[in-house]
Amino acid sequence: MLDATDKQILKEVADLEGIPKGAYNIRKNGKLLGREVSANINITTNEKGDGIIIDIKPGTKNESVHIPVILSQAGLHDTVYNTFIIGEDADVTIVAGCGIHCGGKESEGHSGIHEFQIKKGARVRYVEKHVAIGDGTGRRILNPTTKVFMEENAYAEMELTQLGGVDEARRVNEAVLGAGAALLMTERVMTEKDQMAESKNDIALAGTDSKANVISRSVLKNDSVQDFYVNLTAKAKCYGHIECDAIIMDNGKNQTVPALRALHPDAEMTHEASIGKIANDQLMKLMSLGLDYDAAVNRIIQGFLR
Amino acid sequence: MLELKNVTFEVPDADSDGENPHRKTIVNDVSFTFETGGFYAITGPNGSGKTSLAKLIMGINPLTSGKIVLDGKDISDLPIHERSNSGIVYGFQHPARFKGTTFRDLLSIAAGTDDEDRLVRLIARVGVCSLDFLDKPVDSKLSGGEIKKIELATVIARNPKVAIYDEPDTGIDLWTIGPMVDLLKREQKENNTTTIVVSHNRAFLEAADTLLLIRKGRIAYDGGLEGAMPMLEDLSVCTFSDKCEGENDVRCYR
Repeated sequence: MLDATDKQILKEVADLEGIPKGAYNIRKNGKLLGREVSANINITTNEKGDGIIIDIKPGTKNESVHIPVILSQAGLHDTVYNTFIIGEDADVTIVAGCGIHCGGKESEGHSGIHEFQIKKGARVRYVEKHVAIGDGTGRRILNPTTKVFMEENAYAEMELTQLGGVDEARRVNEAVLGAGAALLMTERVMTEKDQMAESKNDIALAGTDSKANVISRSVLKNDSVQDFYVNLTAKAKCYGHIECDAIIMDNGKNQTVPALRALHPDAEMTHEASIGKIANDQLMKLMSLGLDYDAAVNRIIQGFLR
Repeated sequence: MLELKNVTFEVPDADSDGENPHRKTIVNDVSFTFETGGFYAITGPNGSGKTSLAKLIMGINPLTSGKIVLDGKDISDLPIHERSNSGIVYGFQHPARFKGTTFRDLLSIAAGTDDEDRLVRLIARVGVCSLDFLDKPVDSKLSGGEIKKIELATVIARNPKVAIYDEPDTGIDLWTIGPMVDLLKREQKENNTTTIVVSHNRAFLEAADTLLLIRKGRIAYDGGLEGAMPMLEDLSVCTFSDKCEGENDVRCYR
């Protein structure tokens, strides 16, 4: 069922050596390749047939669901609408991700439109990796949209990673947080050659005592371009923090725009942003421990994007 | 044996106009031999060139002229990492803070292994760092004392022939300084490490076999602490002298 390329992609995007254990849905070139549900996690195709609904029963603990997407058909631009319903007090891990294998001249793309409904007291860890491989010259395009609705005391940790290979990426993340809800979102993006990546984030802290921490780590190699925007809006007594750092390796161009908007007098919001080359004192330290310049650069970048 | 031969370090003077660049001499024609396994303390007023001299040895500052010879081999032109691999390690006065890189990463690089048992043994050997430090990112959230302890551990993990510690007591609580001195003495004795400590702290000055007093980029004195006392008292070595030596501000910050 899985060929060598599929296996390589699954390994890269979901850390899978083959078919995962537990619930999963694997989509390949716009079609279902395999699906498994569990007692607590149901996966169904939506009414329109253009995506899936992942329904996690209330109280489900320590279970995971994998929903990787494989794209290896030249010229295909696949758009999918997925809905995740995470029941009250559930505690689950969702591993998503898309891998493109491009072997030809035509471009290939995937747009995953994901909506999360995280019910009261539920906790979710969402891990999404985007990779692109192959010798083809066609552009590899990934445009993910993630919308998150968090009820009271819901908790979400979202790790969004794209480390090289993707030529164009336009990401949109939106979240609305209810009372006591907490969101930790970490985006790690490495671009090279003439790649471009754009990330637009809109987070609304709507409920009392909601918390959001948005972290962005960008590395720009060669002539690549990255733009990062984040708007954090406080509509209640809440806490919000934005931390965005970009390292420019060669001739990359970066724009980082963190914005804070307090619409409530008890909002506490902070942001820090930095753009620059690798800090000289970090290089000196690693070189004084015996690493040559290139090895020191690699270790610093590895840590930064971890 | 580490030999400094007529070592000089100059930088462009900040006041120069560019067309006629004036040079400022930071380290001025210093010659000295650090014997293998010796314990040396380098002291002197702020801005006297202590850190610049230490960084010249590590290769972080480029030599303007002179030679540095380690065990008979001229290392003057070697880059930092090659000096490190020849056996010299420098513990920074203000250690770098990273994002994402953990103490485990630094220690593994320093020790050349990521084997858990060996890292734990190293931490036990250093003593001043707790095991919970291991997976902490070495970032701006660490306190000044914590990062200095980590810095010390990464130097010791290299098993250096020559260990240079630049003000290792900065930010360290008073009751850790004694154990820190004992640790450096133990490393010196057990591994025959040539130990060079840049410090104003009496505990380190007393621990040293030889004291080097640097003043205006030159060695003003080398020998035992006793002999240096009159000069030290005269200089009234104080880390805050740059703040209190003003005409209008006579408050003591010590």
